[in-house]
Amino acid sequence: MNAAQPVTATASPESEREQATRLKRTLLHDIRRSVYVFRIDSGGCNACDIEIFAALTPVFDVERFGIKVVPSPRHADVILCTGAMTRAMRLPALRAFDAAPDPKIVIAYGACGCTGGIFHDLYCVWGGIDKIIPVDVYIPGCPPTPAATIYGFALGLGLLDQKLKATHHVEAEGEQVTVTHPRIPYGLRIALEREARRMAGYRQGREIVENFFILMEQDDGAPIRERIADFLARENDPRLAEIVHRLEEICARGNGGTDQ
Amino acid sequence: MSVSTESRRGTGYVAALRQKLPSSVLDESWQTAEQATITVTREALPEAVETLYYGHNGWMSVVVGSDERLLNGHFAVYYVLSMEGSEKSYVVVRALVPPDTMEFPSVTPKVPAAVWGEREVRDMFGLRPVGLPDERRLVLPDDWPDDLYPLRKDAMDYRLRPEVTTETETYKFINAAKSETTVVPLGPLHITSDEPGHFRLFVDGEDIIDADYRLFYVHRGMEKLAETRMGYNDVTFLADRICGICGFTHSVAYASSVENALGINVPPRAATIRTILLEVERLHSHLLNLGLACHFVGFDTGFMHFFRVREKSMELAELLTGSRKTYALNLIGGVRRDILAEQNLRTRQLIGELRGEVTRLLDILLSTPNMRQRLEGIGRLEKQVARDYSPVGPTVRGSGHHRDVRIDHPYAGYGSIPVGQHVMDGCDVLSRTLIRSQEFFDSITIIEHCLDNAPPGPVLVEGFTYTPHRFALGYTEAPRGEDIHWSMLGDNQKLYRWRCRAASYNNWPSLRYMLRGNTVSDAPIIVASIDPCYSCTDRVTVVDVRKRDATVIPYKEMERYCRERTNSPLK
Repeated sequence: MNAAQPVTATASPESEREQATRLKRTLLHDIRRSVYVFRIDSGGCNACDIEIFAALTPVFDVERFGIKVVPSPRHADVILCTGAMTRAMRLPALRAFDAAPDPKIVIAYGACGCTGGIFHDLYCVWGGIDKIIPVDVYIPGCPPTPAATIYGFALGLGLLDQKLKATHHVEAEGEQVTVTHPRIPYGLRIALEREARRMAGYRQGREIVENFFILMEQDDGAPIRERIADFLARENDPRLAEIVHRLEEICARGNGGTDQ
Repeated sequence: MSVSTESRRGTGYVAALRQKLPSSVLDESWQTAEQATITVTREALPEAVETLYYGHNGWMSVVVGSDERLLNGHFAVYYVLSMEGSEKSYVVVRALVPPDTMEFPSVTPKVPAAVWGEREVRDMFGLRPVGLPDERRLVLPDDWPDDLYPLRKDAMDYRLRPEVTTETETYKFINAAKSETTVVPLGPLHITSDEPGHFRLFVDGEDIIDADYRLFYVHRGMEKLAETRMGYNDVTFLADRICGICGFTHSVAYASSVENALGINVPPRAATIRTILLEVERLHSHLLNLGLACHFVGFDTGFMHFFRVREKSMELAELLTGSRKTYALNLIGGVRRDILAEQNLRTRQLIGELRGEVTRLLDILLSTPNMRQRLEGIGRLEKQVARDYSPVGPTVRGSGHHRDVRIDHPYAGYGSIPVGQHVMDGCDVLSRTLIRSQEFFDSITIIEHCLDNAPPGPVLVEGFTYTPHRFALGYTEAPRGEDIHWSMLGDNQKLYRWRCRAASYNNWPSLRYMLRGNTVSDAPIIVASIDPCYSCTDRVTVVDVRKRDATVIPYKEMERYCRERTNSPLK
């Protein structure tokens, strides 16, 4: 067997006919009926398909906007593709794309569909839908939520304009990032944060320790033990009490030191 | 890792093997107290596997190929057997394959359950199982070049994309029918959920004589990715993306394989949180399957209702993990989130609502006479066929075998939780559907039990020692059955070899036996009953062998026929 040659094949998407582009503009402008969608799973993990399902069925129910999934590409206005486009799905996907009448809108769905996602450079995928067929709308997410799906459709059908809110911060002369909770000794802070994370995980741990810092810094005359007891009584959560007591113990030991 | 001799389970099997094949057992090592790896000579491999499989109530879990030329100059094959006799344990039979001949005797003629595993080893490593009856490609696409084996360490960069070798599909479908049959291809694209797969039904009139299928349309190369680009601690998130429906069980299986290999004890609270989420995933998956079962027998109102209720399980997942799918909750040694009072309360409320709604829906579903009539006696998986092919989950439990990883090999928090086992002897679609509906309520009970008895303490271990070249198994009971992961750690904090096997992988090979003897209109419901990744195709082509002509009927027509069973499109 030969060792690998660096002959990485590249795929080029089918190009779109000029007439189709013109027709598509008309379609977007003049569509006054339901849109028919044909789904292609070109190598997804099903999470995207689950969310498409969720968008279709009661609760989110996109059919109320006239968006309907059809069983054949021959009826489709929109082709919805999920997955990183595997080698084995290239031909079936192309056949389905060719079978759909012009004008058609192609939506790349999910992180894998948009760019190949976590699989973008692997040997058995082409790395995104747009490597094989031309894409009009990208709906990112892993997987996109049903709300994102509906929003993506609205974009694709020209019902909404893309709204991007970007701000750009330029650092001013002498500007400095402030330290949070400067009154709490640094070593103690780290020890508390670590213990909170160990006990309650990243997200809830951070929230709990943040509240704890606020309690420590409050200066309303009452001793800290009372303030904590008050807080715990208000929250009424035995698990939270367990974690906060651990943090108290670290404070009582002084600087905490290690997390063990 | 040293495992104390007294705590070991499964020593009886090893002793039996040594007695049966005295000069063939070369080595024995223990990864955990219930995982043993036995190295045997190449020639003795089929007999060793057969002895454990049929002689000692072993079931084939997975076949792992590994390129160990950098470690010991050989390739290796591992046959992982789940021993479910008097002692419950995993015994792995290992044999070395020399790199000059690349050959080893095939186990498949003696144990049919090894067939997919051996075909995969052939694809990915170019090893030749001598005597393997089915030498078609399994995993790699038709347009992949011959003589390029992705998982060999020296074969190729993981990014290499070879030129396309063919513009047509070249897979040969096997038809075991004795007389002339009509061919009904289904797939690979389909309008319902899930992955593509291509089916060929060989029919005589309305009766299915045989069936064959081509899957792996979504082979992406995950194992190679895990062994090259990613660190071992990132793979828990990759494992989430093996399957969008039961990704979390894969993630737990992977994390526990590494934890087993390194001897990490997961804190009890983390294990309980994992258990809760595993059951949340089961709630979701079973509701999905029950909904689709409604759909395929023409009960669309039920389908919509199950999908409406299913949304609550998605809300539950979002509440507990922050995402509706691909939970990304596991770390090696624990989980990333705790369950506080707020989540605890809302979870109880949601599962209470689920229990009420699903009880009502199932009552409606099962008292619909049509339902029983469509499911009873359909898609029979005979007990012996099940024994030969090692299917898993509700599929095997519907054929009278007591197999459930949660009970046989407790993992996560299952050791201390009462788990009900539902086994039925009907061997048909009805049994599998009923088992799922019973397991649904069990899952709710398990979640409540876990919430009531969640132990205190941390959710995460920090600070353990990473040791290269250790390996072990991790296993879970996914909604569809046993998921099993075999991981060997390597240098540079990367996996040396990762083999993950999803539940459906073990269920597919026996599907052809379920399809045989049924009518075409039952095919979708039979395929759906193993809860694979669903029934197929945008269109169905009927090829009549006698007339040599082809008519194309839309899938919708096929599905309509399954639901209404009038006006056959085949006539």
